[in-house]
Amino acid sequence: MHKNPLTYDILKEIFNISVGKSASILSDMINKKILLNVPDMDIYDLNERHVDSSEYLPEISSGALMVSSITFDESLRGRANLIFPAEKMRKFINMCTNEDKSDDDGNMDFNDMDFDIVKEIGNIILNSVIGEIGNFLKINLNYSLPEVKIYNKDNFKKDLESVQYSYILTLYISFKIDDTEINGAVIIELTLESLNELIKKVNVLEDEIDG
Amino acid sequence: MIKILIVDDSNFSQKITSNTLKKFLDNAEMYFADNGYDGFEKYKEIKPDYTFVDLLMPKLDGKGLIKLIKEYESDAKIIVVSADVQRSVKKEIEEMGVMAFLNKPFSMDDAKFICDKMRTNENA
Repeated sequence: MHKNPLTYDILKEIFNISVGKSASILSDMINKKILLNVPDMDIYDLNERHVDSSEYLPEISSGALMVSSITFDESLRGRANLIFPAEKMRKFINMCTNEDKSDDDGNMDFNDMDFDIVKEIGNIILNSVIGEIGNFLKINLNYSLPEVKIYNKDNFKKDLESVQYSYILTLYISFKIDDTEINGAVIIELTLESLNELIKKVNVLEDEIDG
Repeated sequence: MIKILIVDDSNFSQKITSNTLKKFLDNAEMYFADNGYDGFEKYKEIKPDYTFVDLLMPKLDGKGLIKLIKEYESDAKIIVVSADVQRSVKKEIEEMGVMAFLNKPFSMDDAKFICDKMRTNENA
């Protein structure tokens, strides 16, 4: 996709701020300092034949992925997904519940309460990311109830490609809690119409900056 | 004894809100509901002094629940605890006459702020 450097710069900065706020929320939830790397961003057109799904799906894990999702509509229509390697989520869940079980870190048996925690974390972070975009661009959004699912990489690719959204906006996030580095991503799926609307709103901001 | 009803579809968030409030209130009785519909039934049954409401919930959302409660009892004291950070949503909900609109996760600062307000109310 053709990149206008200023448009990308503005979008990246909006995400930078919203992801920074999300990190602060996470830090409050687990009562630990979180070191966050500046997120990188890309936009992919799923209809372009030469786009390989491995390009937009980050190398966050070769194993199972835990994916929290919310769909949104009104001024923009799409779905936002928070993706983390499932093997790293046990430690994170234990931190949220103040349980210190270091021997439990790789445990992949998730119960209903674990799913509830991941769903709520996804809900808070995705609301922060998408909602701040709405605030910046002065647009209103309605959200669906959050969902959480465990996928392997292939299933998640198939799921992304099977829904009606044509564009994928990927933010690669990596953060460190204590000595654990977690690489994840926020993948925002948008319709062509919504991507155009988003770019149009960002262009208004560009015009305001240029005076 | 202050009766507090927490309506949130996440049991995790119910616990965070309840445990954080308990740090500032030693005389509170906590009640819970998982959606707006059950929340309204419980509201009528227990007549809570304060109701904490999430916005995004199944069956009946927080906005619908606030509307029902306000029709039932116009001076009901409602505190919204939501992940929604949109300024337009906050404005719309505040116009419904809620006591406060707070963003998740419910923090110690939020709890102190609300409990101070509760004490001011009780003493008024």
